[in-house]
Amino acid sequence: MSLNARLSKILRDIWDNKPRSLLVIFTLAIGVAAVGMIFNTVRMMKRDMFGQYAARNPAHLALYISPFPEKLAQDVEAMREVAEAEALRSVSAFTYDGKGARKDLNLLASPDFDEANINRFVIEQGAGAPSLRGILIERNAAHRLNLHLGDPFIVEMENGKRYTLTIDGIVHDMTIQPYSITAEVQGYVAMTTLEWMGEQPFYNQLLLIVADAHQDATGVLQVGAQARDRIIEPGGYHVGAMQVRGEPDPGDFWARKQIDGVLLVLQVMSVLGVLLSIGLVVNTISAVLMQQTRQIGIMRSVGATRRQIAQMYLAYVLALSMLGLLVALPLGLAGAAGLMAIAADFLNFNISKVNLPVDVFLLQAGLGLAMPLVAALFPVLRSSRLSVYDAIYQNGLGSGEPQKGWLLRQLARIRAIAPPISLSLRNTFRNKSRLGFTLATLTIAGAMFMAVFSSYATIRRQIDELGRYIAFDASISIPGGANKYTVEREALRIPDVKVAEGWASANGVIVYADGRESDRIEFVGLPLHSQTIQPRLVQGRWLQVGDNGKVVVNEDLLAKVPHLRVGDSVEVKINGQKRTLEVVGVVSKHMSGARIYMDYDQLTRLTGRRNQVDSVRVLATPGAFSQPAEQSLIGKKLEKRFENAQLSQSSSRTRHEIFDAMAKAFNILLIILLLVAGILAAIGGLGLTGAMGLNILERTREIGVLRAVGASHRSVRQVVVVEGTAVALLSWVFSALISYPVGRLLSEAVVSVAFDTRPTFQYSFAGLGVWLAVVILIGVLASLAPARDAVRLTVREVLNYE
Amino acid sequence: MNEAILKPQSVSIRSIATPQNSPLIELHQVYKIYESGAGKFTALKGIDLTIEHGEFAAIVGKSGSGKTTLINVLAGIDRPTSGEVIVAGAPVHRLDEGELAAWRGASLGIVFQFFQLLPTLTVLENVRLPMDFCNLFTPAERDQRARALLELVGIAEYADYLPSQLSGGQQQSAAIARALANDPQIILTDEPTGNLDSRTAEQVFSLLQSLADNGKTVLMVTHDDELAARAKRVIALKDGEIVA
Amino acid sequence: MKYSSATSRQSIHASEGALIELRSLSKSYITPAGRTPALRGVNLSISPGEFAVVRGKSGAGKSTLVNMIVGIDRPDQGEIWVAGVAVHQLSEDELARWRGKNLGVVFQFFQLLPSIDLVQNVMMPMEFLGLYTPKERRQRALNLLEHVGLGGHTHKRPAEISGGQQQRVAIARALANDPPILVADEPTGNLDSRTSNEILDLFSFLNTQGKTLLIVTHDKNVAARASREIEIADGQIISSGSIDASPRAVSTNLNASLSMTRGNQL
Repeated sequence: MSLNARLSKILRDIWDNKPRSLLVIFTLAIGVAAVGMIFNTVRMMKRDMFGQYAARNPAHLALYISPFPEKLAQDVEAMREVAEAEALRSVSAFTYDGKGARKDLNLLASPDFDEANINRFVIEQGAGAPSLRGILIERNAAHRLNLHLGDPFIVEMENGKRYTLTIDGIVHDMTIQPYSITAEVQGYVAMTTLEWMGEQPFYNQLLLIVADAHQDATGVLQVGAQARDRIIEPGGYHVGAMQVRGEPDPGDFWARKQIDGVLLVLQVMSVLGVLLSIGLVVNTISAVLMQQTRQIGIMRSVGATRRQIAQMYLAYVLALSMLGLLVALPLGLAGAAGLMAIAADFLNFNISKVNLPVDVFLLQAGLGLAMPLVAALFPVLRSSRLSVYDAIYQNGLGSGEPQKGWLLRQLARIRAIAPPISLSLRNTFRNKSRLGFTLATLTIAGAMFMAVFSSYATIRRQIDELGRYIAFDASISIPGGANKYTVEREALRIPDVKVAEGWASANGVIVYADGRESDRIEFVGLPLHSQTIQPRLVQGRWLQVGDNGKVVVNEDLLAKVPHLRVGDSVEVKINGQKRTLEVVGVVSKHMSGARIYMDYDQLTRLTGRRNQVDSVRVLATPGAFSQPAEQSLIGKKLEKRFENAQLSQSSSRTRHEIFDAMAKAFNILLIILLLVAGILAAIGGLGLTGAMGLNILERTREIGVLRAVGASHRSVRQVVVVEGTAVALLSWVFSALISYPVGRLLSEAVVSVAFDTRPTFQYSFAGLGVWLAVVILIGVLASLAPARDAVRLTVREVLNYE
Repeated sequence: MNEAILKPQSVSIRSIATPQNSPLIELHQVYKIYESGAGKFTALKGIDLTIEHGEFAAIVGKSGSGKTTLINVLAGIDRPTSGEVIVAGAPVHRLDEGELAAWRGASLGIVFQFFQLLPTLTVLENVRLPMDFCNLFTPAERDQRARALLELVGIAEYADYLPSQLSGGQQQSAAIARALANDPQIILTDEPTGNLDSRTAEQVFSLLQSLADNGKTVLMVTHDDELAARAKRVIALKDGEIVA
Repeated sequence: MKYSSATSRQSIHASEGALIELRSLSKSYITPAGRTPALRGVNLSISPGEFAVVRGKSGAGKSTLVNMIVGIDRPDQGEIWVAGVAVHQLSEDELARWRGKNLGVVFQFFQLLPSIDLVQNVMMPMEFLGLYTPKERRQRALNLLEHVGLGGHTHKRPAEISGGQQQRVAIARALANDPPILVADEPTGNLDSRTSNEILDLFSFLNTQGKTLLIVTHDKNVAARASREIEIADGQIISSGSIDASPRAVSTNLNASLSMTRGNQL
């Protein structure tokens, strides 16, 4: 009731101009909410996902060792450098889902699940350790395959024998990649159950936690090498490979690096968004000040000092910002909860609680309250400094606006366009700071939008690149290997199959000059004239007949041995023996990890597995790929024939399935990026709507004049819409100009976190086209409401506007 | 003075043609009542007025006498509360905003006190604008005609200037040229000299006078008694009624 | 008590008795057409309690003159003394405070703040100057509105009342800080004749209450009520003599009109 008149004016100005106030509030709210959503997601993921993961005591290193007894683990654990070591048995098997489709199954057996301390899982349902003929299922697979406690569970061993186990429990294991990503079911059984299913009771993996928790990957590998050299190999066991678990640091969550990268990109985008929305708010505030110039003059003439005026308008900004923040806080929290729900499901972790941490709140409050104030300071001070005379005496068109400068005079020279259109076009340039802010927003939104498209194109390109290396209709792996000729003959007995190639593979390491060894490297032995690979050579040449000791490496390997060039030699260790190989070519990266390609005979000679192959790749039509359904059929026939021939029980993989899985993983990423680009576009659209609304408001009188000289509804609307579209198109030109570098930056960020590699950038012209359409739509939509307002103005209102 | 440009064009531009024998402007019992929170205010109290082709009439009266309301009603800018307004054969009081815009563009040229040229368009483009809106003449003819009109009002050399580069008198001349763009029968001016010094005001007034001499009907709102006295007819308003 | 504007030497020594004193005031504006002089060496002195009108045609310089006195516009040359203060030397903020305390300004277009109600419009100057307590401000604003005959409209917004009523509120606002001087620029320019008369009655009444009035107008009716008429043409004062109208004669008139207005509301 007895509100202070100044405060009352502020509140009234907000209330009386609801559309404008709401525009400011929501523009600000979207930006601040986006920041809250992303930063809070980061906080909660760190707390929940990384926190929960750390609590599972994750392994630093896994050693793949020839069959060994549990005692070996105790010996390794006794080492000074090792904090903990545990033996684990991993067996590949299969199971069947409700529809009878075969699924990959990985069975893990620990000496004692109750005592197991490394890579701990949490039992969510059930009693505890698996009993004899019992199995624990990882929950991500259990949920997706609709498996419940007490259900029977079919296990098909590689020898084709089937066993029915009972589900003793549902567990949550964060240390493995979940079923949602790998499509491999994770099961935990007692060693006695494995024995019951005909397996020998030995272990084949050793998990290590090093004593010095701050070791990097190299240090951890060194500890592994010490264990191997001092304990394992002297004991008569053979270490096939060592794998550091966790990136960037050992013991980190398996997707930590990727998630950190994606979150960083999102954080940058959201901050960009909030800065843009603040810019747009300043646009509106400047316009309000311009509009209230006379009122400011009156207040000054009844005794207000400049400071009092500045305080009033800053209070106005603060009030709007507070309302914006009020909207932004729950919106941001809801967004974060949504993102967390998606992430938790996809990455298989638990959300402990959804809350708003103090620092995220402070960040939002700081950006949402302080930044608009700081940004509005300039226009507010400028307005409060206006002399009373200038503030009060404004009359006629164009007065009160700064003298038109060089730009307008240049534009006035363009004579080819009819006045109604050039009126729109020149109006575009009238308020340069407003145009600047609006353009900046739309330009950045557009560049980001196009960058997402380019990232998509780049990822597609990497996947296509992968396609060159999986140029088959279907392939099937043969665990343990089989005779090359038998395998190829059996495959060719399938009527559709015209090409069948048996490939050999082996694991090894690179030995550096200083004697250190690298991570696991895959050696691939393939026919010299293979038809199921279409390598793209980056350097050098492909394998030739008579290439003795000559190999081709892929770009991923170059990441491990940076200075490797064609013609260089590389020392490797394979099958326990050191060899020096000459690099004759480098092929493109294809998401396979580091690989060395060599002639089949050369490799089998090295591994001593002559005439043995580990997989077979088939093609129905040489030089062409079959349809997905046909590929799937070929795959099924392959499974059947190999099963009958007792060659392999693996499930086949078709080219199409591999692509599909890849695309699925990236789609989530792209959708999130597109969402953020969409938020930016929304901010841009709101900005343009606001700017157009302000333009109309300020040019009420001009619109009246247009009416007076005979402009119809259509003409007035056209003047407004053409102007809005012109701004949109202009922003498109600017975003097109920066879309290449921005797209490259984002693509590299996304791909490098996802593939750990610098991609071959692919610019998306489709993005350019799509954004053109979107931005025109934004331009038209953003000017429709202002145009409607403009049309509504009658000449009388306009000319008697005082 | 180039008189040809003021003669009715051979191209017919008026869909609502006026028989030459009936008056150009007729007002019957026009009332205008404004309602506000403070109550009713009657701005026009039953105005009856007839203006013939080619008249040069000054509308005088003090502030609040209703003269601006009268001219707004004539121009279809404001609607009468009751009564009829027939201008150039069109029932102005019954047209909707869209029809009004078209009618106004073709039949009326309005000159405002504060010139009201669009600041982003050159002088020539300002004059061309009404022709573009009403789609009169070919685009090439529009430029020619705009130039000829600027010649007529004596500021041809400023055709490609922006309004802000012109003096007040020059701006008002440009506004008059714009009012003539569609060759309307009627020129309405509201205090055309109100913002000009006496010498410039005189030039603008003679320009209006010469338009009347060349067959245009000119209505001028003014509170300058001397200026009004020089018009052929003076319509004096007081408190919403015609007193002379 | 009247000084001839022509005798500038005399006015310099007469400053003690004058409330408003202008000395050799010059001002010109730069327009696209060139330099236009608005005031050419104006000398003027107004004593406490005067009801002075400034008359002249559009462009004669009368608004410029008033703007100089209220410190809205600054002279190119010359001095402005109001109640012993050298207005031409004050900074913009000093001017704002000085004006708020010493001058009530009334504009042609009322210039009320549209978003707040009438009481708050009247309270605004008191708040800016920090005069009175918040409670007193409100009471004072209500009294002033009552005083100008708008006691029944205190919570309406400016757009909800007529032009004449808005001008009364503007006058109430001008009186908010109880300044000794009221300056008005065409206060009746936008009003019909009856409403104009009511406003003028109010001015006359205020004059009888001791306020010094300076009103710019081209309305002859206003001049008829003034104690002094100053005529200006082409930036120079061409006459500054007095008219001996009796301001007191209208005071009963005012009371009648005030009560009539109030009667209308009830």
